[in-house]
Parts: sequence; C-alpha cells; structure tokens
Amino acid sequence: MSVLPLPKAQAAADPILAVDDIVMEFPTPDGVVKALDHVSLSVRAGEFLSVIGPSGCGKSTLFNIVGGLQRGYQGRVSIGGEAVEGPHPAIGMVFQEESTFPWRTVLQNVEFPLEISGVAKARRQEMARRFIAMVGLGGFENRYPAELSGGMKQRVAIARTLAFEPKILLMDEPFASLDEQTRLLLGDKVLQIQQELQQTTLLITHNITEAVQLSDRILVMTYRPGRVKRILDIDLPRPRTSETIGSEAFGRFVAQLWSDLRDEATRGMDEQQELMRNAGRGP
Amino acid sequence: MADTLGAPSRAATRAAGVLGPVTMVRIAIVAAIVLIWEAAAASGLFYRDVVPSVVAVARALVRVLADASFYWHLSVTMLEIAAALAIGGTAGLVIGIALGGSRLLSKAIEPYLYYLGPTPKIIFFPVLIMLFGIGPGSKVAMGAISCFFPIVLSVAAAMRQIPLVLIRVGQSFRAGPWDMALKVYIPAMRHPIINGFRLGLGIALIGTLLAETKMSNRGIGHLIIQAYALFDMPRMYAMLIILFAFAIGANSLLARAGKADGTMG
Repeated sequence: MSVLPLPKAQAAADPILAVDDIVMEFPTPDGVVKALDHVSLSVRAGEFLSVIGPSGCGKSTLFNIVGGLQRGYQGRVSIGGEAVEGPHPAIGMVFQEESTFPWRTVLQNVEFPLEISGVAKARRQEMARRFIAMVGLGGFENRYPAELSGGMKQRVAIARTLAFEPKILLMDEPFASLDEQTRLLLGDKVLQIQQELQQTTLLITHNITEAVQLSDRILVMTYRPGRVKRILDIDLPRPRTSETIGSEAFGRFVAQLWSDLRDEATRGMDEQQELMRNAGRGP
Repeated sequence: MADTLGAPSRAATRAAGVLGPVTMVRIAIVAAIVLIWEAAAASGLFYRDVVPSVVAVARALVRVLADASFYWHLSVTMLEIAAALAIGGTAGLVIGIALGGSRLLSKAIEPYLYYLGPTPKIIFFPVLIMLFGIGPGSKVAMGAISCFFPIVLSVAAAMRQIPLVLIRVGQSFRAGPWDMALKVYIPAMRHPIINGFRLGLGIALIGTLLAETKMSNRGIGHLIIQAYALFDMPRMYAMLIILFAFAIGANSLLARAGKADGTMG
C-alpha cells in the first residue's frame, strides 16, 4: 500500500484538532506555577505533529488537556470545530508509563476499547488481531504482558489505542522508557502504521532524533512557563525509515532543534538546581 | 511472588518422587503434636476426659462421620458461611470501591470502620436474634457483619494502590463507572480482593460458629456445644478436627482462585 503525502494546500485547509490559547496554572506550596502560557497549535488531517521541549515545559499537561483528562485550564480545545470537554471518541491516547492491563492477554488488551464501545465478540477479536499484526506482534495474542519485553508492551498499548480507531492518535513519550535501538525500530513501526492508516498523530517527546524521524512539523516549547518557541517544517521526503537519520538534511534539522532546545534545557537545569539548593539550605 | 518461586521446586519434588523438606517438617510437627497429646492423655495428669486418647478421638471421628444427621448439620453451617461471605463480601467490595474512589467518603467514613473493625461482633448478636430470629438468618447476619470489615478495609486500601495510568487508560477509552468497576478496578485489585476474602472467610467462620453455639438447634457450632454440655470430649475434638479440615480446604480453594490467571501482576 503506497500512500503519497497529502498535498500541502489540501492539508492546510483541514485542521482537525485546534488548541487555542491554553493557560494552565497549578497551585503549589511555593505559589502558583504557570505550566502553560497561551499555547496554541493546530493539527491537520493526516499530519504528524510533534511537540518537543525540555522536562518541565508542560508537555505532559498539554497531553492530558488535549486528551480531556485535565480540567481547570483557560482556553479551548476543539476537534472539527467541536469543543473537547472530557475524553473524546476522536482522540486515542498512548501513555508514557507501562499501561497494559496485566490481567489480560495481548488479544484481550487490544479488545478493551472495543468491549467498552460494545462491539460484538467475533468482530472485535478480528479487529484486535488486525492491529496486533500491524504492530508486529502476530503470534503473541495469548501471552500476558508479564511475558513480554518493554518494547512489546508499548506496542500492545499502541495497538490497543489504534483499535479505538481514533481520528487523532495522541502519544506522550511512548518510547521514553525503551533503549535507543528499540526506540528507533519502534519509530519505524510507527512511520509504517502512520502511512498505512494515514493516521493523524500528535506526539509529545523530548527526543530530538525521534521528533525529526517521525514528524511533518515540530513545535518547540520553552522551559516553564511553557510557550510555543518555534514551529519547524520537516520537509524530509516520505516514506522515511530509521535510515533517514544518516542523511545530511536530517543532521541539519537536529542541529537547528538542538540550538533551540539547548537554551531552554540549560535554563531548566539551572532553575531546578537553584530550587534544590534552596531546599537543601533550610530555614 | 513466593508462590511463583515455590512452583518449580514443588514440581521438581513431585518429579523426583520424594517428599520435600517443607512437607517433611509439616509431617513431623503433626506427629509431634499427636505424640505429646497421647503422652498427656496417658499420664493421667488432667481431669478425666479433658485430654482423651488419640484412639478415642479417632473412634469418635469415625462415629461422627458415619452419622447421616451430622452431614445435615455440616451443610447448614457451610451454607450459612457461604451466604455470610457472599453478603458481607459483596457489601464490602461495593462499599470498599466507593470509599477507595472518593477522598471525601474515605475521610468521613473509614475512621468508623477502623474503630468498629476490631470490636467483637458477638455483642450485636442479641439484636440480630431479634431481627432475624434464632434460625440460620441470625447466624448468616453474624457471619456477614464479621467478614464485612476486613473485606471493606482491604478493598478501600487496594483501590488507592491501583496504578493511576490504568485508570486513565479506562477513562481515555470513555469507560463508564460500571465498566471501570468491572473491567479496571476489580481485576486490578484481584490479589488484594482474594486476600480480603480469605481473611473474611476465617472471620465469617468464627462469627457463624460463635452464633451457632449461643442460641440454635442446628449447625456444627450447635453440635460442638452439645458435645461439650454432655462432656463427650472425644466427639467434641472430632468435630473440631473436621472444622479445621473444612477451613483449610475452603482457604486453599480461595488461594487457588487468586492464582487462576497465571500472572504475577
């Protein structure tokens, strides 16, 4: 199945997810912390958008807001013009932590969202098997997560979310806990799936290579409070694989992103050290 | 964890066709108790039949087991305990989920449960007799109240131990409260729930039997107290042995249920 990338004009005309002017503040013992400061973005149909930023830039807060799991923010999240207030059927979330159900087999895990939406057993098993095969876990349907590696478990989680058939796949550092090799190979898998399903994806990450490898556009965020620092178009040709990483163009994007992120990461590190120093000093 | 570690050695033992060291020690303990018991009985230090000889107890055991009416009493007690565990356990599970899922309810109500939990429930028995009569109803109520407390407290505590990400997965797929309870909360808590029910079983057994010894005309508790009243000590000990066997059997059935899904989770 060869799918060409959507023509730019058509894609631009059709933003399916819009995040408008989000402000999120958390009360802490040391006063109010502003996690997100007037953040706006839009994702077009079929597009792969990554949000990248240092630890503490409010990425995960943004993930939870878009997923409808975090309330109490100012601003608006909408899908096809309709406001999102709570978990939305058009959004499928993949979490950073190990999130498979240990009491369910791989097949039963992937069937979960279909069970919730009331799909008949024969049909949902058939669908689940298709998505399990898609993430390359055919033959492992009847294994329990305890018998799988970290990378395999994360693939089960991705298959489970794909079975929900979301318009938008929302992922929060899904490969953060994996080793570099597994991460690159899983990136290939995601690219392949994205091409096969024309899956609109919003990826939250702190990994520059991963972002460039996968994305059509990358949104760089500042350290606290999280603001949009820059949006970068990654016009590397598709289909891509992990081999794209070796190309000269790839290296240029990585260098540019790193120069953007270095300032933010440095600021984040300094501020955190300052906090620890103060905490250690005592009254 | 201990079970998974124990499994291979147990399998190896079975394959080798010899008894493992654990089994040997267990057999030795039982043998030692029987020997000390017999020595005490033969010594004549105790008042008449307080410690009857092992042979007398064994004979009484055979007599009890050969008596058809004993099985009727046994079935009465077993049904009472099963009903008590079903009622107290279901209530404990439902209320435990509600408490564990709500900070407000948990803070407002759990302290009462912690205070009431260790209170001997037999003090409620007169009220229960008035409410449910002297038949099995008051015994079931007694057992249900007894096992409710350990189950509700262990479920409420287990609710707070469920990894947040699993709850978020359920929410992100738009599971309603009913699906969340049946497909996320309860399976995620399967091990603590089984343990709560094992604890509850022991306590339901105590509650039910204690009630049977007070005011009743049926059940094992009634038979035991009758044997005691007639000072038929061998018969009383025989019934206690049967009760032990019953409790151990029910407990290991529950333990097996806890391991049924083959995961360590």
